[in-house]
Order: sequence, then structure tokens, then C-alpha cells
Amino acid sequence: MTTEEQAGEQAEVIQLPVTSSTTEIALDELELVYAFIYARVGNRADAEDLTQLVALKAIPRLRPGSPPSAVRGYLFATARSVLGGFWSTRLGLSEAELRDDLALAAPPGPASEEGTETVQQILDRLPDNYRRVLELRFLHGYSLKEVAAEMKSTVGAIKVMQLRALRAAAKVRLDE
Amino acid sequence: MNRKPEDRLERIVSGLLRGRRLKLRGGDAEDKEAIAAAARLAGARQGPQRMHPAFRKRLADSLEQTQSQGWLTRRAALVAGLGLAAGAAGGALLGRDLGPVNARAGGEPIEPVHGRWIDVAAATELVEGEGTHVVAGGVGAFVFRHGDTVTAVSSVCSHLPCELWWESHAGALSCPCHPATFTPDGKPTEGYLLPALNKVHVRVTAAGRVEVLGTE
Repeated sequence: MTTEEQAGEQAEVIQLPVTSSTTEIALDELELVYAFIYARVGNRADAEDLTQLVALKAIPRLRPGSPPSAVRGYLFATARSVLGGFWSTRLGLSEAELRDDLALAAPPGPASEEGTETVQQILDRLPDNYRRVLELRFLHGYSLKEVAAEMKSTVGAIKVMQLRALRAAAKVRLDE
Repeated sequence: MNRKPEDRLERIVSGLLRGRRLKLRGGDAEDKEAIAAAARLAGARQGPQRMHPAFRKRLADSLEQTQSQGWLTRRAALVAGLGLAAGAAGGALLGRDLGPVNARAGGEPIEPVHGRWIDVAAATELVEGEGTHVVAGGVGAFVFRHGDTVTAVSSVCSHLPCELWWESHAGALSCPCHPATFTPDGKPTEGYLLPALNKVHVRVTAAGRVEVLGTE
């Protein structure tokens, strides 16, 4: 790499163009935060509320002209804290469990398939019938009745299998 | 009503698959890990999500508004439940420092402008020496009972705007955002040199109820 290229790359990392406002940068980064949160709460309404909360908490603490890496790190640190509070309040999840889970949550890149990949890895580690019921229900959107028909079982049995499959999925620990 | 666990979980799964908000009822926490797993599966269903344009617009408007109003004061943000550098001089402007700050005394009590005593728990529910997270309107706190004495500190780190966690095994409050921990009386223990956590006014009523000075 030439000296000019090095200088150009360094300049891009260290300082934003003067015309870029913190709000514009924060909005682009908040897109990633939104995807990150959505992948963990599974619905738009909660994801929007929590993203808004992250913005409200973090943005007043960012300096105009902060490099994107600092903005991202700060927003994701806040997002982890906000998600911790969400689960802790809604479910009473223990803080130790939350911490274990959130430690896996490195900030995704712009085109990340992080959530999908992680879920697929979890599904791959389940017994066949558990994996099948969760794939049909969550990834293909089947109703309980349709899953029962597909798996040649009853709705009641599928409901119990869904519960056991989700409990098993929750126990899977990925080596990340 | 005593519903079966599989029925309770199905109600939650069904709501998630219809794109509804997570709504939990008494007894649901029994299967908290399974519910969290269901939320992740539901979240991964359609791949990475982007903000709805209307929401992005609302967010942009609120961010512009925040910036045009200038930085929030420490006091206003603490009472609103937002975490800020507690050691900054009273009324000082924020947003100045993302790095570690110098050690400062901190520990001033939070004084909400229109404070109100909020019932948060029965004193008997607090486990001796263990931190219990409570919310009193806009004020979040960790409450501790030592014998007949009850104390409370802010649940927000004195550096980054992060909600602290109670680490029972370590007997300390821990920040998820950086390596900072605090004792139950709010003093920093290691890592960054931080101000102490803000105290939160707390009292025990004659009826044995714990009340925290919070907001509506």
C-alpha cells in the first residue's frame, strides 16, 4: 500500500467528512441496531420501541464528528443494556443468563445474516423431530394444524413437541 | 387460570408469528428460556430486518429535535431514566467524553423535580444483602436490605448510559458496557476510575413497604 493510500484510509477511519451530521450517521447505525434487536425480540413493535430507547439514551452522549466505529460501539453497548432490561422486566431472566446470551451478540456488519445463521446452527443441533416442528412453524409459517398434518400427528402432540423443542433450543450453546 | 405450559407457549408463539408484541402473563416466566428462543426464531424468520420508513422518519425527527435542544442536563436525564456521567458538575453539559473519566466523588442523591414516593416492594421480599432492581417511574434503582436498613442506588452506570446488573456471586453491580463494577453502596470497585453511583432516596413505611423517591 502506498503512503497516499495509507493516509487516505487513515483519514476515512479517523474523521468523518465535515458535512456528515451525527444524526445521519446515527440513523444508518441504528438500522443495524434495529436488525440486531428485531432478531432477539421477534416483532416489529417491540423492536421499534427498543431502538427508539437506544437512540434516546445514546445519542445525547455522542459528540458531533465522532468516528462511525465509536458511534457503532456506543449504540450497540447501549442496545445490549436495553435488551437486558427488556428481558429482565418481561421475563425475569436472570442477569447471568442474559449476560451469557448477550455476549454472543457482536455487532453485525451491514449485510449480516447473523440472526438467521445463528438460528440455523441452533436448529441443526436439535433432534430431527424437534428441528422439523420448529422449521415448519417458524421458518415456513405453518399453523399447528398444518404441522400436525405434515408430521402425521395430532395438534395436542405437536403443541407439546413445540414446547419441548423450544426448551431444547434454549439449551443449545454455540461455540462462538 | 391454570393453563398447561404448552398452551401458554403456543399463545406466545402464535402472537409472535402474527407479528404481535411479546405479551406475557403470570406463569409465563416458568418457560422464559423457551420464550426467548421462540422470539429469536420468529426474529430470524424473514432474515435481517430494516426499519419501516415511517419509523425511520419518526426516529430522524426525534434525533433532530434532541440535537436542536442541545445536550440534556445530567439531572434531567437521570430523572428520565437515562444514564449519564454522574460525576459531571451539577447541571454541566453532556456529550463531552466517550472515554474513561477521572475518579470523582459522585454519589449525589437523585432529586426528582416533582418527586413522588413509589411503592416498589415489601421489605420482607428483599433478600438480605442481595440487589433488587426496581423502577419508580423515571428512576431506576437497586435496592438493598441489610437487617432493618434499606438503601438504594441508581441502576444506571455513572459513565455510560447502561443499566447495571446485580452479580450475586460477586456481590457487586456490574456494567454490561465496560469493565466497571460497583459495591452495593455505589462505590466503584475496579477497572475504570468512575464516580460513585447516584444515591436514590428510599424509605420503609410502617406497614413494611419499601418506597423509592421517583416520578409519576
